[in-house]
Amino acid sequence: MGLLTILKKMRQKEKEMRLLMLGLDNAGKTTILKKFNGEDINTISPTLGFNIKTLEHKGFKLNIWDVGGQKSLRSYWRNYFESTDGLIWVVDSADRRRLMDCKQELHSLLLEERLNGATLIVFANKQDLPGALSADEIREALELDNIKTHHWLILGCSAVTGENLLYGVNWLIDDIASRLFTMD
Amino acid sequence: MATNLLGDGDHDDFMDFQEELAGSSSNLADRKFDAIIGHIEDIIMEDGFHSLKDDFMEKHYEVFEDTEENKFEYTDIFNQYTRLIEKYIEEQLTARIPAFCMEEFLKQLLKRKDKLEGEIFEILYTFSDFVAFKELMVDYRADKEGTCIDMGDNLIVTPFTVNNTKAAPSSSSSSSKPASGSSSTSGPSEATGSS
Repeated sequence: MGLLTILKKMRQKEKEMRLLMLGLDNAGKTTILKKFNGEDINTISPTLGFNIKTLEHKGFKLNIWDVGGQKSLRSYWRNYFESTDGLIWVVDSADRRRLMDCKQELHSLLLEERLNGATLIVFANKQDLPGALSADEIREALELDNIKTHHWLILGCSAVTGENLLYGVNWLIDDIASRLFTMD
Repeated sequence: MATNLLGDGDHDDFMDFQEELAGSSSNLADRKFDAIIGHIEDIIMEDGFHSLKDDFMEKHYEVFEDTEENKFEYTDIFNQYTRLIEKYIEEQLTARIPAFCMEEFLKQLLKRKDKLEGEIFEILYTFSDFVAFKELMVDYRADKEGTCIDMGDNLIVTPFTVNNTKAAPSSSSSSSKPASGSSSTSGPSEATGSS
């Protein structure tokens, strides 16, 4: 590790958190990001690269990285693992057909060494759609109960209405903070 | 413990010196550390560093667009940038400080992680910040293309002045005496300004 990387890591430990948002394409990652940031969500097109938002929340500086989820793009995900404190996995709860794919991608991510220790939150998104599976159903389909290596939580949410987004991010931050920062 | 504070190099001399100081070894280490930081400050202020950065930007700026979404390509270029700067600083330190050891310096840095203050650390930090890097590249491109548009003005403006005067070459600014239409007066003055 070189000089700049070390300085960066030292700085990050102070008050910054890096959150990585992944999931299959059309899960609603960018919409969640924008909704959470109070931006317009009516003109979002499929992400072919990645988005970054830096925002202050609960006294922390959050760097949220949202990387495109199309199959051909997933091999790029690895370039964004480094220094991740929290992983936000977004699921299209109405896309039953691809739940298997979704499960496999998630479980292979959790094997990644550079994501060791990252807290995981699963957003069962699109709860506003008729036919969406509940958070419990998604939890079973993704076999979340088998995850022993990471702290995790699943929440039903809607990027369109904003339901549960704040609650989820707050939980994530609290969990990371309790690991990373000493109480002071 | 104290011996760990030393780099490699003139071990024997250094050891003697160290023993004489007996107890003030941390001061010595601090002074050594501060000296290295001073060198880094020099290095990034000098022309060599600026042309390194400029050359890099010149080579890659065209990839960057002023849009919210980022291309994956940016990440590769950013990683190259960070490595280039790290390598340059290390090379320069090695050339300037006898027996400089980066590994040792990094250890010292980590030890002082709670009391690193000063602009230098802010500057170094921005070199490893992707968002700052993207901004730098986008701004560089905007500057570049700003220049291109000026040149375009020149080309458009010249035929206007030709109307009233003899066929004046584009470079002769004196051709814009009393211009014909009022609309063209702003043209020549811009053209002379940018040539």
